[in-house]
Amino acid sequence: MASQGDYAVTSPSAILQKLCCKITGLPDDTVLPYYQLSLRIISSKFSPAIETDEFQVSEKIKRQLARKGREKDAALFSELHRKLKAQGVLHNRWAVLHLLMTLSDTGIKRQAAPSFDSSIFNKGLPAYATSTPFHPTIRANNLTLSGSTILSGGSSGISSINSGLTSSTTPVAQSFIPSNAVVSVQNNRHEDKSNQRQNVGTKSQTITLTNKNFESAVVPRTPGTVVSTQTPASRDKDNTSFEIPENELLKDLMFAFQGIEGRWIKFNSAKDGYRIEHQVGIPKSVRQLISKLTECGWLYNRTKSYITSWSSDKAFGLVGQSFCAALHQELAEYYRFITVMEAQVQHERDQGIGDVNGGLTLRRLAVWTFDPLVRLKVLAALVDVCKGKKGGALASAIYSYMQHGDPYVRSLIRHTLTMVFQPIYATLVRWIYDGELEDTYHEFFVASDPTVNNDKLWNDKYSLRKTMIPTCLSIEQARRILLTGKSINFLRQVCEDRTATTGREAAMDLDISQAETMFTQDVNSAFQQMIDTVYKETSRNLLDVFHSKYKFLDHLKAMRRYLLLGQGDFIRHLMDLLEEDLAKPASNLYLHNLTGILEMAIRATNAQYDDSDTLKRLDVRLLEVSPGDTGWDVFSLDYHVDGPIKTVFTPESMILYLRVFNFLWRAKRMEYILAMIWKNQISYAKSLKSIPELNKILHQCHILGAEMVHFIQQVQYYINFEVLECSWDELLTKVHEAEDLDHIIAAHQVFQDTVISRCLLDEKSRAILTQLRTIFDLIIQFQTAQRQFYESAELEVSFRDKFEKMKEKHTEEGDWAVTEVEVVEEQKRKDEFLNTVIPSTWAQLTVLSQSYQDMVQQFLVMLTCHPDVNLRFLSFRLDFNENYKARAPEQFNSPLMYQRTKRVR
Amino acid sequence: MADSSKPRISSARETMETLMEISSLLNTGLDEETLATCVRLCESGVNPEALALVIKELRRESAAIKENESSQQSTTFS
Repeated sequence: MASQGDYAVTSPSAILQKLCCKITGLPDDTVLPYYQLSLRIISSKFSPAIETDEFQVSEKIKRQLARKGREKDAALFSELHRKLKAQGVLHNRWAVLHLLMTLSDTGIKRQAAPSFDSSIFNKGLPAYATSTPFHPTIRANNLTLSGSTILSGGSSGISSINSGLTSSTTPVAQSFIPSNAVVSVQNNRHEDKSNQRQNVGTKSQTITLTNKNFESAVVPRTPGTVVSTQTPASRDKDNTSFEIPENELLKDLMFAFQGIEGRWIKFNSAKDGYRIEHQVGIPKSVRQLISKLTECGWLYNRTKSYITSWSSDKAFGLVGQSFCAALHQELAEYYRFITVMEAQVQHERDQGIGDVNGGLTLRRLAVWTFDPLVRLKVLAALVDVCKGKKGGALASAIYSYMQHGDPYVRSLIRHTLTMVFQPIYATLVRWIYDGELEDTYHEFFVASDPTVNNDKLWNDKYSLRKTMIPTCLSIEQARRILLTGKSINFLRQVCEDRTATTGREAAMDLDISQAETMFTQDVNSAFQQMIDTVYKETSRNLLDVFHSKYKFLDHLKAMRRYLLLGQGDFIRHLMDLLEEDLAKPASNLYLHNLTGILEMAIRATNAQYDDSDTLKRLDVRLLEVSPGDTGWDVFSLDYHVDGPIKTVFTPESMILYLRVFNFLWRAKRMEYILAMIWKNQISYAKSLKSIPELNKILHQCHILGAEMVHFIQQVQYYINFEVLECSWDELLTKVHEAEDLDHIIAAHQVFQDTVISRCLLDEKSRAILTQLRTIFDLIIQFQTAQRQFYESAELEVSFRDKFEKMKEKHTEEGDWAVTEVEVVEEQKRKDEFLNTVIPSTWAQLTVLSQSYQDMVQQFLVMLTCHPDVNLRFLSFRLDFNENYKARAPEQFNSPLMYQRTKRVR
Repeated sequence: MADSSKPRISSARETMETLMEISSLLNTGLDEETLATCVRLCESGVNPEALALVIKELRRESAAIKENESSQQSTTFS
């Protein structure tokens, strides 16, 4: 600094002196004090400004001119300025311009004081304050010098209107000189203000000046304080003391827009945004404006980092990629914007000061960035919301912005969505028309499990990924889409049917462009229609194949006929044939024997006219044998299913069928046994008439038998009509109405569930089932008891017959009919029979009938408590004449029973 | 900035003409000679701010002198 000062004194001093002479018009010798004064001022201020910005100065000049309504002159000026630049002779163009500007309008009026004031307030630099050696002596001299000027300038400096005020004006100048020298805090606004002031009428000018000066005159020679009272804002934490040329700021902003740090605008990680550097002085308003503008850069960075971090990730998937592509497109648009802006800035730099009206300013930029800012904001919001998401979830996340109220934003989202939905749509079309799942990255909402083989293709292989269903699709639609593709796969792989879906070619042609229909369903039903038609078409196709080629209905009927005992004659005959074998212990059964018997039964009955395929599938199966089981417990019919129909008749459902068969088989057996009992009763009735003592027992047998027959008949009625036929009818209706395979499966499931629960095979009815089994056991016991009784009775009858025949024979031979011994023996045997067999049988029957009745009563009570209404009807049927109730009324006092009886009465 | 250390006379004159035009446009009240002097000072690196201040001061002083002269009062500078 010092050397520069020296330099200034030595070389340009002569010029300066010349200048002094020229202006004052004094000869060389008398000009000395002025020269000294000028030298001091110059040396004290001899420091180049930090920013020697020509553009800024020229802009300011233009503004000044424009403010005075001299637009033409402003244009002229810019023309001249351009010329000046083109000539390129001057080094310090800005300095010359600045000088001229400062001196502007001083030519004629020579308003010393105001322009002095304004010039003093002009650009001062903080750097200057510290870097220039500040000599109090100089200031003192300066002050005295100024003081001396008071005397001379008092009347001339200020306009003549108010000469009385001059005395108060000058001290201001006194205090202002150092204030400028020391602190020199100033900003554009002030300057503008002072400029304006300059242009206001002289009177008000003086007054304001006076006020201001009065204020500062209170604290003269304390420049810092003066400044602080004038511009309290300038003591803010952000330095706002001087201006960086707007052009530079614009250039920096262009960098910031692209997320690059500029010369002044740096990324502030604490505030998470681009900020003008703290120590750089610019007005607060500009600072704020720049903060606002740089939001673009921040948003851009966010979007860009998302793209860079994800687009390189191969596992991110197609949806993510297309999202990135969409973002890229938007950013390209943004780049275009930046380029245009940058070109504008560059153009203005090259051209010097551009047209006042067309030039790029921060405010203009703020207007221009409005749209890109909105776009970027939306993009950044999308990016935020989509972080870590992929596939359908990503699409859903974007779709949630579709309802944005701003149509501008909506169209942006719409465009992005169209891009994002394209891969989803493509996959979807492939899926519903070809059944092919091209989903390498697991983005689609249909998931396929490659480990599942064809047997379980329908049920297990494909599933919906709930999270990946775009929210614009309803669950029902997703289900249909899943079903459609699944049906095609099922047709192809399991049914081996390769007919292409109609309309496939057309759909493939339309392809990608239709992606939009997916998320604009509220206004456009094309997508829904497409899904529906393909779904219907495919499902119908599948069902046709299912019914015609695989005869699903035939198999269903076979199940009903054989496993659910629908074919009465066959079952009856089979039971006839099997009776002997099944009475053996289960371990003695041989499957091949049983299969042979089954074959015989088929041949002998109407079953032989059934489809040979169905009959081939019919087989015997022995359940797991536990000790003590007889053949009856383990015997079961089986029906083999394979191929597509296995989808409906799954192994699980087959087990259910077997359970139901087992139950029905038992019930059937009871019927069979009771028929035998009845047959015996009828046939023995005559022969046993000869022994009148047996009548009581026979009567008892009849009563018990009749009771059992009634019970079993009602149970059978219930099973056949209320359970099987009803459910079967429902099932058939549903199967005929079914739209897709899932409906059939569901209907079948419902059918099985109903049958199982109504046949008391489910968990809830376990107690009742046990009760029923006990009753069945009692029936079997009764059968055994009765058989034993009949056998012994038969024996007795035959003995008596023999005895009678022997008597006749003896009589014919002429002997005594009976000898004493024989009579005694006969009597003894008779007595034995009457005394042993009859009472024991009687006792046995009494116990049996007693326990049977107890059991049935218990059973009825249980039935009435059962939640299923149908079972209550059964109890009503069983106890239609309130026989059991009359016998044990106290047991039927349950509220339900009470209600029932009340209703009956 | 364009750097031409050897100004040719013609272009120098042109420049001066332009500057003069600007000067008159801005109503600075500088005549050609003063302007040339100022430009030289500026070119040699003098702070234009200070220079402007000097010119204004000088003008004021000279005005005062003239006034003094016209009123036939003699004042001395200390």
